[in-house]
Amino acid sequence: MTGYENMNHSFMDTSLKRITNVVDRLISLSSILGTLALIFVVLLILVDVIGRLFGAPLTGGQDISQMTMVIIVFGGMALCDKLGGNIAVDIFEDNFSAKMNRWLDITGWLLGAAIFSGITYTMIEGAALAKMLNLSTNTIGIPKAPFQYLLAGFAALTALSMLLRAITYVLSPDKEYKKTHEEEL
Amino acid sequence: MSDELIGVLGIIALFVLLLLRIPVAFSIFAVGLVGVSILNGPGAAMSLLASETFTIASNAELIVVPLFILMGNIATETGMSRKLYDAAYALIGSIRGGLASATIVGCAGFAALCGSSVASALTMGRVSLSEMKRYDYSPKLSTGAVAAGGTLGILIPPSTGFVIYAILTQQSIGRLFLAGVLPGIMLCVLFVILITIMATIKPSLAPAGPKTSWWEKGQGMLGATPILLIILLTIGGIYTGIFSPVEAAAVGAGLATLFGVAMRKLSLTSFWRASQGAITTTATVMLILIAAHMLNPFLALSHIPSALGEFLTSLDMGPYGVLLIILACYLVLGCFLEGFAMLVLTMPIFFPVITSLGFDPIWFGVLVVLTLEMGLISPPVGVNVFIVKSVAPNVPLKDIFIGVMPFWLVMLVAILLMVMFPSIVLTLPNAMMN
Repeated sequence: MTGYENMNHSFMDTSLKRITNVVDRLISLSSILGTLALIFVVLLILVDVIGRLFGAPLTGGQDISQMTMVIIVFGGMALCDKLGGNIAVDIFEDNFSAKMNRWLDITGWLLGAAIFSGITYTMIEGAALAKMLNLSTNTIGIPKAPFQYLLAGFAALTALSMLLRAITYVLSPDKEYKKTHEEEL
Repeated sequence: MSDELIGVLGIIALFVLLLLRIPVAFSIFAVGLVGVSILNGPGAAMSLLASETFTIASNAELIVVPLFILMGNIATETGMSRKLYDAAYALIGSIRGGLASATIVGCAGFAALCGSSVASALTMGRVSLSEMKRYDYSPKLSTGAVAAGGTLGILIPPSTGFVIYAILTQQSIGRLFLAGVLPGIMLCVLFVILITIMATIKPSLAPAGPKTSWWEKGQGMLGATPILLIILLTIGGIYTGIFSPVEAAAVGAGLATLFGVAMRKLSLTSFWRASQGAITTTATVMLILIAAHMLNPFLALSHIPSALGEFLTSLDMGPYGVLLIILACYLVLGCFLEGFAMLVLTMPIFFPVITSLGFDPIWFGVLVVLTLEMGLISPPVGVNVFIVKSVAPNVPLKDIFIGVMPFWLVMLVAILLMVMFPSIVLTLPNAMMN
């Protein structure tokens, strides 16, 4: 490798690390939002149940929990992927070479990134439409568009995280991959 | 190219992707989206992606998934599972095979708190395997009992399997929960009978544990009171109509937290860990469910379910012959596919066939969930077996698979009993929710 190539490589490495750090922080933030949303829903339903016991149920409780569910589901999506939470059938893993396993992992992440990018794109379009049509929940009329934008944001973060991981693995040599992969597991 | 051929090619592509270790959700998404694009245009596929993603993610009924997972996580964090095992141990630990039977009863109890089989096997495995080792139990029997007992997690309500089945087939979650109770208890009893017979025929497999006094039995039961109270209030609340499943799940999570704090077993850190674990598990489950809603329209457009239905009815085997073929398919698929993915993949194909044959969808749901349970302990991909292996690293995987085989056969007997006597499944839901 020439000095120029070396410099270029280390510049890319540093940039990638910086971006990964930022994305990791955003993943932590989104998971915190998801976790807080879950705790909020538990409290909300408990208040509703207790209120009903005293003849004063919470109006629109279901509407609120319905919209909060979006944050619970997609808030934890990027963290779930980062922790390797997506189920895969690995019966042939030992039959594949390390190189093939590496490329299969990369393919999986790229496919995931494409799917989550698709979700982001269609969700932004859907949110714009929902905003235009003033779509809202049935009982207390919570507008749906902000939650669709939020979902789009979480999906974009998940897509970015997968893409970054794929790029990192493409750029790292086989040995390094194996080590990183094992550490991750 | 005909629509049916495109459908068949799509299914083949799906299996190839799965075997190439592409995550289940991504594989289903890819095949569903590409399939709908081919059959109905890319515009239809994209609008499906937008509408289904948001509809599923904001489905009010599905809130039970994170809430019940949270309840189970808190029960694990606070060591309530240990108390359950201790109670069962005090009650039946002194009889021959009693420790293994106590494990099964403990698993059944924990299953009523947590809808996950893997969590049940892991938690009970940690608690019981060392005890059984101390009393010279055969490693095959002890690990087999934990792996098989853990599977009760998705049969005894609350069960994630039932929730997913209910959403996929538009059935009542409450009715499915009720339908799972008697089969769950029956399977638990059958497991205990099996262990007792095995221990009687070959006493060296499972020597009797130490005798416990009435005082110790009382203490054991006292320790399990909070858990029994949670089970009574949440599951009992659903059955008596006081709570909806969603409310029961929230009340259960709230009570588990309350007891955990009161017993000083739940710190802020462990509560946060349990909650964060719940949202990541929810993300896994929900992503597959959203993906399933991409695959279903593709299969419907390709006419595969109706073609398969026509083919199966043309075999002239009668409704029960077709049912047995479908159940056999589940048993074979269970050896290779993760149970949840299997449910999502097969339901759009098999469910219309089952309803057209006049079978009760709730009854079929319980049968399917039981076959999923069998998949959890079937070689080569028995997830619960791997979980037990992680807790008992010194026991060879082969021995654990040998150990679960008698339990697997008992599950087969349970399925046959439920096919012969559907009232085992339907009595409770019909009596309480008709």
